[in-house]
Amino acid sequence: MSEKIYALLMYLYPSHFRKAYGNEAMQLFRDRACDEKGFFPELRLWLDLLADLAISVPREYSYIQSKLIGASVQQPLDGLPSFHVLEGESPRFGAVLFGGVLSLTSLSIFSVLFNHPGEYRPLRTEAAKTLSSGHLHPSAFRSPAAQRSGYGEKERIGSSLSQLSAQRPPSQDTASVLIQTIADDMRLDAVERQRVIHGVIANLKEHYFDRDVAQKTVDALLAYEKSGDYDAVTDERAFADLLTRQLRDVSHDMHLIVEYSRDTLPEHVPEQTPESLARFRKAMEQENCMFKKVEILPHNIGYLKLNFFPDTSVCESTATTAMTSLNHADAIIFDLRDNTGGFSDMVLLIANYLFDHPEYMYNPRGAPTEESWTRSPVPGSRLADKPVYVLTSASTWSGAEQFSYNLKMLKRATLVGETTRGGTHAGVFHRIDDHFGMGIPETRAINPFSKTDWEGTGVEPDVKVKAAEALETAQKLAERKLHKK
Amino acid sequence: MPKRKLDPLPSVAFQILLSLANDDLHGYGIMRQVADQTGDRMRLGPGTLYSSIQALLEERLIEEVDRSENAEPGHERRRYYRLTSAGRKLARSEAERLADTLRVARARKILRGDYV
Repeated sequence: MSEKIYALLMYLYPSHFRKAYGNEAMQLFRDRACDEKGFFPELRLWLDLLADLAISVPREYSYIQSKLIGASVQQPLDGLPSFHVLEGESPRFGAVLFGGVLSLTSLSIFSVLFNHPGEYRPLRTEAAKTLSSGHLHPSAFRSPAAQRSGYGEKERIGSSLSQLSAQRPPSQDTASVLIQTIADDMRLDAVERQRVIHGVIANLKEHYFDRDVAQKTVDALLAYEKSGDYDAVTDERAFADLLTRQLRDVSHDMHLIVEYSRDTLPEHVPEQTPESLARFRKAMEQENCMFKKVEILPHNIGYLKLNFFPDTSVCESTATTAMTSLNHADAIIFDLRDNTGGFSDMVLLIANYLFDHPEYMYNPRGAPTEESWTRSPVPGSRLADKPVYVLTSASTWSGAEQFSYNLKMLKRATLVGETTRGGTHAGVFHRIDDHFGMGIPETRAINPFSKTDWEGTGVEPDVKVKAAEALETAQKLAERKLHKK
Repeated sequence: MPKRKLDPLPSVAFQILLSLANDDLHGYGIMRQVADQTGDRMRLGPGTLYSSIQALLEERLIEEVDRSENAEPGHERRRYYRLTSAGRKLARSEAERLADTLRVARARKILRGDYV
């Protein structure tokens, strides 16, 4: 038996060595095996043999290797595909066939495994945990304004996401892309689907402002679940979108939303600390409160490029300074093409300058309060009757849409550019599990302009042009208007 | 095939040369002799043994001896190896080199004992 094993092991050696010394080596093995009987001698024999194999097999091949290197230098191949063999002779037909079958098998096993990545969920979770650190996380930041203006205990999705994009360093984006690449292959299973559906139902019942609508929606979801509507959905984002669509279809409330987050959602929204507030303040100061450009264009047209509506408790003076410096302009262009939203109080603060009497500014986030009217006129402001243009793009979002929508509906501004992205972020965010959450409005907002707002549809511009051409178009419109006067 | 390097002489090759100093031996004989002369510290496996034998043959430090007349019936013919004069010379010079090394070691008080 052991002789047969050793005979097989001899095949590890190159063929020329086997031919020359195979028989001798077998003979030596037989001699030793004959002389060294008993458990320990045999054990020692095999240890010797294995050590010998480990040392001498690579050495034998290394001799051949150096020979091959020499040979390939001597015979350059004319661009023909070729491969080296460790053996000194051509491979046998059987060996080529076996090698072919083996490579095909491993290739197909690899591709099959590649398409069934469901087992690797822990990797995604671990990776997401590593990346979702501290204040960079969505909904990890709760602004003092949100607390002050009665936004409630929970974070608004919109402001948190906007702050995220305002604060997130570029490296985080790269990391997110990486995670997305990993996570894109992850798939939803029945257990998580059920957990999410039941989480949605529980939250709706508890938090939605209209009990009857909530109950009707819950019944519909349960019916959908029973009829197996969700069984085939394995993509997380598609699942969130499907739930959102169904919630809205039944409730006719466009502010209900189910969200999926690749990063793990934190268990609790971290408390606002003086340190995090200081960090936010410093970041905002460094960015000039996201007032990217404040200048006077030819024909005395004021131009304000604002990429975020920051918290007034931090940025009021910057905003006031910017608006004051544009006070003598004959027209004003607000460039919101890169604006991702922000705080409603800043939307109001800027709008204050554009009216000579208080105007109601619709806010999808809740019932009207005293804060829903502009504090117009602003003493000393000369902008109340000047033509206003708002530049929009497909990425103009949330708070920036509130600004655009109200000015458009009040016929106070001409919107130039693209239809906006369409997000109100009106709901209070509720966590369902590590990756799913939902937004639920807790009060009925009153929209004096129309039944629906921009949720899911965006704000249509008055003058539709590509975002890149919006400034030039708005300038021309303003010049023409000023010229007429 | 490039020559296997025997410069410096590996200790396995040196032990094989020494084992053949008195008698012509076959592979297993060499293995036993080497084990004896090293106090069982060096037990040569077939791969190492024949790889070294091949190198020594290529360098003509040992040669094969035809001892077919000694073949016992029923047994395979065994190849015996004999030290050549070049092999003997190399073994001697290697031994002297080692002796020199030993003297240095003694002089540096690494090894205690009599002068070799």
